[in-house]
Amino acid sequence: MSSFRFLQLVKPFQQILPEVSAPERKVPFNQKVAWTAVTLLIFLVCSQVPLYGIVSSDSSDPLYWMRVILASNRGTLMELGISPIVTSGMIMQLLAGANLIDVDFSLKEDRALFGAAQKLFALIISLGQATVYVLTGLYGQPSDLGAGVCLLLVVQLVAAALIVILLDELLQKGYGLGSGISLFIATNICESIVWKAFSPTTINTGRGPEFEGALLALVHLLFTWNDKTRALKEAFYRDRLPNVSNLLATLAIFAAVIYLQGFRIEIPVKSNRFRGQRGTYPVKLFYTSNMPIMLESALSSNVFIISQMLYNRFPDNLFVKLIGVWEPLEESPQLFATSGIAYYMSPPHTLHAALVDPIHTIIYVTFMLSVCAIFSKTWIEVSGSGPREVAKQLKDQQMVMAGHREGSMYKELKRVIPTAAAFGGATIGALSVIADLIGAFGSGTGILLATTIIYSYFEISSRENLSPEMASMGDLMG
Amino acid sequence: MSSTPRSDRPHGAAIRRRTDKNSQVGKPNSARAAGAGGSSSTMLKLYTDDSPGLKVDPFVIVVLSLAFIASIFFLHISAKVIKAFTK
Repeated sequence: MSSFRFLQLVKPFQQILPEVSAPERKVPFNQKVAWTAVTLLIFLVCSQVPLYGIVSSDSSDPLYWMRVILASNRGTLMELGISPIVTSGMIMQLLAGANLIDVDFSLKEDRALFGAAQKLFALIISLGQATVYVLTGLYGQPSDLGAGVCLLLVVQLVAAALIVILLDELLQKGYGLGSGISLFIATNICESIVWKAFSPTTINTGRGPEFEGALLALVHLLFTWNDKTRALKEAFYRDRLPNVSNLLATLAIFAAVIYLQGFRIEIPVKSNRFRGQRGTYPVKLFYTSNMPIMLESALSSNVFIISQMLYNRFPDNLFVKLIGVWEPLEESPQLFATSGIAYYMSPPHTLHAALVDPIHTIIYVTFMLSVCAIFSKTWIEVSGSGPREVAKQLKDQQMVMAGHREGSMYKELKRVIPTAAAFGGATIGALSVIADLIGAFGSGTGILLATTIIYSYFEISSRENLSPEMASMGDLMG
Repeated sequence: MSSTPRSDRPHGAAIRRRTDKNSQVGKPNSARAAGAGGSSSTMLKLYTDDSPGLKVDPFVIVVLSLAFIASIFFLHISAKVIKAFTK
């Protein structure tokens, strides 16, 4: 009984927590697209506006690996990205799943309290994170900044987190398409891909200024250099800056994921209630979509952060060295693992590096594939999309598998679904490894997340209505 | 007879009914309608129901967040201006 009081604790706050009012009637598709676009615009602006009061942010970034899955941009209003929502959601669901807090999801009041608790917890997390970031000197030493600016920084970060929470809720309540979380992740990744292809900034590499964007550089080099073949070669294979072959690799991975999304096993089902109603229950190869890669990335980035912290504090400890040794790579302040467990968990930087150290490559590939497969299998149990639940849902709808008795449906699903989940997880892990090796823009994780999210948006919009408006979604996600 | 009920129950209604069933049983605790489109969708879904909180129109949220961004811009610009004048 004492654990039940935990939810009651939230009750006084429930009245003051802002809450998006649900739409009174179904929002038409056009308006949904409009709301989604507005939300996206706000997110994009927020992830470009620098925080007011920052002194410096060019030291090594300890959260470098987290940025992709958290849709955060360093030194901007989106510094925290979606991390407060995701963290609070995961912790609360875990606590509820483990029965540490007692929630009866059949009661409307309890569900509302649970939602409010998640929101409150997200705000508390963002406040905590903001305070830690500012006080640990991520934006310059607190003593240099002064108390006023420190406070202002925290206020900015918390306000931005509140905006993200509300925008996410706005989308989920039915004003927009999909959820804010996936939209923001995909946008963030697509933005960086587009930037790397078309960036107009010039960088002086010692041979005169060169464009950062791969395509712009191609055009620029072809026009300015006299030796056209050499110019073409340079545009395709220059290192340090994004090149055209990276762009092609990105497009290839994108196409591969879309192609594999179509792989599915269709289980024929028929209705018991209405004779003659038949359908198929599709089990996709990517049954768990991008979840395994998200979990893998969350796992390894947490290991990296802890290992970096330990290495900074005790660089000579043998045990700490075993976990990971961190050194800056090629003049940039960013630290990378150079040995230890963290090294074997991080992808090789280039194809060349992969060939020079084959043991690293082999261990990394095995690690990725097995972890993704395991996470994928675990996820179907955790999220309630396992064979037992699916069989129950089909039974609730009085659907039975054609040519099978009712009892054997579970057996058949149990044969298909975990296999699809594990194999799909391994496939998505393999794609991510390939993307990393052939040097796709962003990271392998990033591009896979973006592609799967964009694909799910296409599914949503084709489910919403099958009209030519669907095509406009493509431009929107660009 | 057999064709009429089919048109009465569009696809969306079937899904919604299914989620209701789920929440009655209390499992799964995420509100995702697994199997709605065949396979599980990806993300955690956090907020499910209306709760008796402070109701805000979505339009207000958009306006407020734009105001927030504008105020940050204002801070940046005013800091620049003040710096330029005090030098």
